[in-house]
Amino acid sequence: MSASDFAWLVLLLPLAGSMVIALGWRALPGRTAGYLGTASIGLAFACSLGALISLLGEPHDARQIADSLYDYASAASLEIPLEILVDPLSVFMCLVVTGVSTLIHLYSVAYMDSDAGYRRFFALLNFFVFSMLVLVLAGNFVVLIVGWAFVGFASYALISFWYRRETATRAGMKAFVINVVGDVGLVIAAFLVFRELGTFGFLESFEAARETFSTNEGTVVAICLLMLVGAFAKSAQLPLHTWLPDAMEGPTPVSALIHAATMVTAGVYLIARMFPFFELAPTAADISAFIGLATLVVAATIALVVTDLKRIIAYSTMSQIGYMVVGVSIGAYGAGLFHLMTHAFFKALLFMAAGSVIAAIAGRQSIDGMSGFRRALPLTSGLLIVGALALAGFPGMSGFFSKDEILVFAAERGGMYWIFAIGGYVAAFLTAFYAFRIGFRVVLGEPCPEARELERGHLAHADPVNPLTGEPEDTEVGFPGPEHHIAERARPMAIAMGALGLLSVIGGALQIPGVSAGLEHFFEPTFEESAFHEVIPSSGSAWLGLAVGGAVAIAGIALAYLLYVARPGVTARLAERLSGVHRFLFNRWYFDQLQDALVYRPLVGAGRFANAVFERFVVNGIVQGTVGVVRGAGSAVRGAQSGFVRGYALLLVGGFTALGVYFLAAAS
Amino acid sequence: MLSVLLWAPLAFGILCLVAPRGAARWVVLAGSLAALGIAIGLAVDFESATAGMQHAVEKSWISDLGVSYSLGVDGISVFLVLLTALLWAAATAFSALRAYPLGDDRSRFYYFLLALAETAVLGAFLAQDLLLFVLFFDLMLIPFFFLIGTFGGEGRIAATTKMIVYTLVGSLLMLVAAIATAILTADGGELTFSIATLRESPLPEGSQEWIFCFFAAAFLVKMPAFPIHGWMPDAYRAAPLPVLVLLSAVLSKVGAYGFLRVVFPLFPEATVTFQELVLVIGVASILYGSVMAFTQTNVRLVAGYSSIAQLGFITIGIFSLTTDGADGAVLQMVNHGLVVAPLFLIIAILYERTRTEDLREMGGLATRAPVLAALFLVVTMATLAIPGSANFIGEFYILNALFQEKIVYAIVAAAGVALAAFYALRLYQRTMHNRLPAGAISREIAPRDALVIAPLVACIVALAFYPGLILERGEAAVEDKAASIRTPVTASGPAP
Amino acid sequence: MTFTAPEIDYAGISPIIALTVGLVATLLGGLVSGARRQRIVVSALGFATLAATAGLCVWQWGEQKDLVAGALRLDDLALAVSLIVIACAAFCIPLSWREESVDRPVGAAGHGEFQALLICSVLGMVLIAMAQNLIAFFVALELLSIPLYVLCGSALRRSESLESGLKYLIIGSLGSATLLYGLAFVYGASGSTDFTAIAAGIGGSLVDDPLLLIGIALAATGLAFKLSIAPFHQWTPDVYQGAPTPVTAFMAVATKAAVFAAVVRFFEVALGPAVEDWQPALAALAAVSIVVGNVGALGQDSLKRLLGYSGVAQAGYMMVAVVAANEAGVSALVFYLAAYALMNLPAFAVIAIRERETPFGDDIRSVEGLGRERPWLAGTLTISMLALAGLPGTAGFIGKLFLIEAAVDGDYTWLAVLIAIGTMISLAYYLRVIAAVWMRPAVEPGDHPGAVAMPALAGGSQEADEAARGTRCPLIIGLTLLAAAASVFFGVIPSPLVEWAEKAGAAIGSLVD
Repeated sequence: MSASDFAWLVLLLPLAGSMVIALGWRALPGRTAGYLGTASIGLAFACSLGALISLLGEPHDARQIADSLYDYASAASLEIPLEILVDPLSVFMCLVVTGVSTLIHLYSVAYMDSDAGYRRFFALLNFFVFSMLVLVLAGNFVVLIVGWAFVGFASYALISFWYRRETATRAGMKAFVINVVGDVGLVIAAFLVFRELGTFGFLESFEAARETFSTNEGTVVAICLLMLVGAFAKSAQLPLHTWLPDAMEGPTPVSALIHAATMVTAGVYLIARMFPFFELAPTAADISAFIGLATLVVAATIALVVTDLKRIIAYSTMSQIGYMVVGVSIGAYGAGLFHLMTHAFFKALLFMAAGSVIAAIAGRQSIDGMSGFRRALPLTSGLLIVGALALAGFPGMSGFFSKDEILVFAAERGGMYWIFAIGGYVAAFLTAFYAFRIGFRVVLGEPCPEARELERGHLAHADPVNPLTGEPEDTEVGFPGPEHHIAERARPMAIAMGALGLLSVIGGALQIPGVSAGLEHFFEPTFEESAFHEVIPSSGSAWLGLAVGGAVAIAGIALAYLLYVARPGVTARLAERLSGVHRFLFNRWYFDQLQDALVYRPLVGAGRFANAVFERFVVNGIVQGTVGVVRGAGSAVRGAQSGFVRGYALLLVGGFTALGVYFLAAAS
Repeated sequence: MLSVLLWAPLAFGILCLVAPRGAARWVVLAGSLAALGIAIGLAVDFESATAGMQHAVEKSWISDLGVSYSLGVDGISVFLVLLTALLWAAATAFSALRAYPLGDDRSRFYYFLLALAETAVLGAFLAQDLLLFVLFFDLMLIPFFFLIGTFGGEGRIAATTKMIVYTLVGSLLMLVAAIATAILTADGGELTFSIATLRESPLPEGSQEWIFCFFAAAFLVKMPAFPIHGWMPDAYRAAPLPVLVLLSAVLSKVGAYGFLRVVFPLFPEATVTFQELVLVIGVASILYGSVMAFTQTNVRLVAGYSSIAQLGFITIGIFSLTTDGADGAVLQMVNHGLVVAPLFLIIAILYERTRTEDLREMGGLATRAPVLAALFLVVTMATLAIPGSANFIGEFYILNALFQEKIVYAIVAAAGVALAAFYALRLYQRTMHNRLPAGAISREIAPRDALVIAPLVACIVALAFYPGLILERGEAAVEDKAASIRTPVTASGPAP
Repeated sequence: MTFTAPEIDYAGISPIIALTVGLVATLLGGLVSGARRQRIVVSALGFATLAATAGLCVWQWGEQKDLVAGALRLDDLALAVSLIVIACAAFCIPLSWREESVDRPVGAAGHGEFQALLICSVLGMVLIAMAQNLIAFFVALELLSIPLYVLCGSALRRSESLESGLKYLIIGSLGSATLLYGLAFVYGASGSTDFTAIAAGIGGSLVDDPLLLIGIALAATGLAFKLSIAPFHQWTPDVYQGAPTPVTAFMAVATKAAVFAAVVRFFEVALGPAVEDWQPALAALAAVSIVVGNVGALGQDSLKRLLGYSGVAQAGYMMVAVVAANEAGVSALVFYLAAYALMNLPAFAVIAIRERETPFGDDIRSVEGLGRERPWLAGTLTISMLALAGLPGTAGFIGKLFLIEAAVDGDYTWLAVLIAIGTMISLAYYLRVIAAVWMRPAVEPGDHPGAVAMPALAGGSQEADEAARGTRCPLIIGLTLLAAAASVFFGVIPSPLVEWAEKAGAAIGSLVD
């Protein structure tokens, strides 16, 4: 079987799984749906491996295989086949997506157990994986856009999975609309590509682009900027990021899979995939890099003050994606994608651990109420710390290698790119700090009541309330189920988390300066055209960078220890001292308010105006006016109808006179 | 073949007038199903390569006035005919299965009118004689006048009268325009209304322009397009939902279709002259319709204004004056019909569960109705033209074509896509999600309704997998029409 | 010197003879005593007369000849119009049965007088359709008008009827006087009373002679008055409303038919050369009439007034055909006249029937809820309304189509557009009637204080009124349905009627253009 056959299978399996669960929902008792879903993704992972192997079997320069199934929508001058592109990049993405997804499905099998929407959940989760795979395997812009939008839809459906929470439906709507804005950007980019290059296919357009465009030509910059709109909407980069924190309304596995590990990294993938365009438009690339940096810092600062456990991790996701965006924008494709992979591991792990903790504390999410779970949740606590270390980039951990590689590359390119290196290390310090703000507060300290209860072997149960608004909720469809599940008691969760823990520790081994460079070589067929292909930091400078990174990480962790363990309470005083800053950060730099004021309100206002004024006075005015005139004339005619013969006679004479005068006038 | 298709519904309709009251609705349903069968047959053995008319019928009717009874289908009309037959079968079945109009002793009248309306609409799509087209175009209104006025809701009489007068404003002027076209073309010679013949000797530009205006007025009112949609809100509020399905899903298309069938071949220069104007109207319709759609609280009007926006897309697609755009428009006509029909049927179902059509008083209906929710979700996603749906491909073709021709309009119109996401999703969430308001019951869709809606949704999904089906068959005919714009027959005055 | 009797073409004048004889016979039939018997006898005679005349017309169909020393012209136009007129009369006779104007309480029933007058008027119409001599023209006009004055007032016990009769008489004579004046001027100018001679006399040179022009203006006024063309229409609503419904029906259709035939002859034959002069004037009249008629009909509660105004508008439409001044125009006119009969008569019939069944008289309330009560009647009323509105599937649509073609052909496109606009306005009131029929529940007499039986005047008797109530004469209903069916039939398969009209047009067409 060729790589492309495997790729088609990779697409088919999740779709099949999703359809089976969706259509056969009545016939699937208990956890069958869960295991079915997991199995289909697991098989997809196996097929991805198959694709990898057969791809490695190919000669080096035959590792870009475009294959189309049928003519999807080709007519007139448009040629749009259902086409996939199998190359190292897409296969790599397939592996990451299917791999992490399998584990998260496994986790969910137990975690979602008591949710009334169990089957709906897995149908959607499978559909999401399918969409994500369409996205990464797409061979032309249209298919890419399809996958792009499908993941958006799946994300929407899963964010508002608990659809009877007002907060959840709002969040879903926000996420979907912002993502559609991104889609539109991408679509227009596609039009522009077609207009200039006359094709929608990736490989063809890359070829044509190199011949057609000169560096930094206006059109190609425009194309890249439009693509960035799409990329940033998906990857929650400024200013299109506001949906991601709200997306935490979804069930925790969803946050882990979609809003940490896979979908939100699609933007990174897009930039990497479109590198020929971006390298022709350095301006756009730099803009993208700077926005990445901004997001990286802003998100990190917000993560310092937010108290909702899942939202802290969400902001951390934004900032980590910032790293990747910087990476792929400055040409460190390998490094960026490497960080994408490691981040998928440890961020998924963090979310799973968080889920376990939240379950243990009866569904509440504020870290203020959490402390001292080390004895109550040994496994969870342990893995939480592992995740935090990886996130912080503690020496030896996966995050350590991947992140620093990007920064070193930035330094290597020198010039203004130093900014990214420095900014990156600053943010790394913040990252380490907030990572252990979570770690220490949840694990160490005086055990909270729920923790004590749990130590006595009883899982806390409170009346379910919406963690955001505190409004009480029943345990019907569209709400989290009554039962909570923690890793300590649910084997599937434990297995999934264990596996990810392991990966977060050893994942870095793929790419150790001077030791191994597996990814770089693997990616060559895709990126060998790249101008930065030759830019490879000497292992000396690489190790230097690593040293700095490690130091920064440890410093951050130390500070966190100082503030949260050694001298608890300092933070509170700090917050009071700098209340202005604190409020500014706590309100997330007022981005939501800004969007609300600049986009949403004006539109609704326009609608109201159109409704109240335009529709009534103009549109109906046209009608009413004419009708009025006609009616007026009517009553005039009836008015003349006096009923008196003399009146009629008069008119008769008048009419005749008029005629006579006319005739005479006409004659002379 | 076509004559059978055309008259079968009416024949059954007349039959139902004499049938026992209980049987009446089944008779008409049988008629619409028969028509559907024939329509499917047409689509199946359709020659996608040729641009010409297929299964053409040509008989002289009023020879002294040069009017002939000539029918035919081509790539533009074949799927619209199929759509008409399909949706009529759906609406009739929906009504019949729930014995609508409930407790009304005039049910025979209702079904007869449905049948008559189907014949009229099919006639408009099949007619290849200008006057025959106008005749059916006007005839359509009569049954709808009665359907809305007799079986409608609040303020039905005012609404329906407004609708008729409004739409006839256009179509009567169109009658004059049509006759003028024929006479000016004949110029004392043999008088004929055959579109094919008229096309060979176009009018001088001067007369083309005023005639174009008359036709355009008729078609744009019918769609309806901003700002001449004044009849729409009242009519939509008053119409019985099965009728509204047809009004919104099929009748609106006749207007757009008319541009391709009549205006392009007969008034090419005028079309070019007025391109900008119509594009402006189209884009305005998109924006205005969308903005209105997301401030409406009446579910019918949300759907209604969204239709205005959708028809806007179709209009600009046609007036990109390119094959791509027009082909996309043809696809989009079918898509919109397929989407809006189940939407209104679902609204009928929602109404049964909440006893209101006000969004603010709805919600939570998905709880006990997963199937209904799923169907509705598919429809919603198709409405907002999510990539992967045929609607997206339609809009993609349209916008891409326009982008190559008139980039500004394309970009403004693209904003409409984002707005669509908002209002469509709003409609879905406000009805199906959030808490269940007091008094509303969440009940699963009844089998008899599923029997009607599920097939329509199935069509949407199927088309999503292969939109090329319509695009490829439409291409030849559309190309032919677009060509007449690009290289018009030299209009050296009327033909000798 | 020897006296040679003029050569008389008896075949040609046979219709006229038949009518005259029948007229006398019917009048005598009125002597039969006993309301019921009298009705039967008289009606039998009446029908016989009309049938005979119609037969003779058909027999003469296709002939082209001058009669009575050129005073009359027998051709297909004349015959076609005669047939229409006769059909109307035949329709109105049964309609008049049980009409309180003829069902006098006291023995002396009025069928004889009524139908005799009717036939007399028909005679006048047939004559005027043939007249091609100013004298014959005027005499015929009076012959058709005077009986109508009387008929309008024939409902002796209803003040409205008497009023309308009187009004019609006064205004009518004013109109006739104007016309007579005009004819005199024309004679003076052209020096002849014979149409063809007039045409020859005018021949180019005289075209803008003020004398002639004044004549044309006066004549136009007089004829416009008879046709109730605005602004000379004002008597129409009053008279239509006041007159007994059968008479109204007859006036509305037959008079128009006959006078239009005369107008065509007068303007297109006699004044043919002066076409440039009168075309714009008549166009103006047509336009005014279309607008005034249509807006006037809006918001009318009295169905007969409504139809009166709609008649004004319709006259305007037909005038367009005259303005077009070409063969197509004449054909269109004849076709439209026939269609007009088919769509108007049933409407009046339904009104008459409801007048007798409900206490609302001809108020729109009388037809509310008809759809549930009497679906067939409702159907016919609906069809005639749709036809009058010119919606497709009815003879009305084809008629309008024909008119518009003629107008555009005669370079009067703006009039064609005006027809379209008029039609739009007209929908507002035609549809109102339909809405009342189908979409409103029937009104109970009780809950409408305004609803009272016809006011009993001198010699009134409640019993008679009661007796007159609720007639369900199968013959009337049958004829009504037939007419409605016909207007649908010719809407779908118009060719026969079109060809018929084309022949009539050809008769005159040879002379114009």
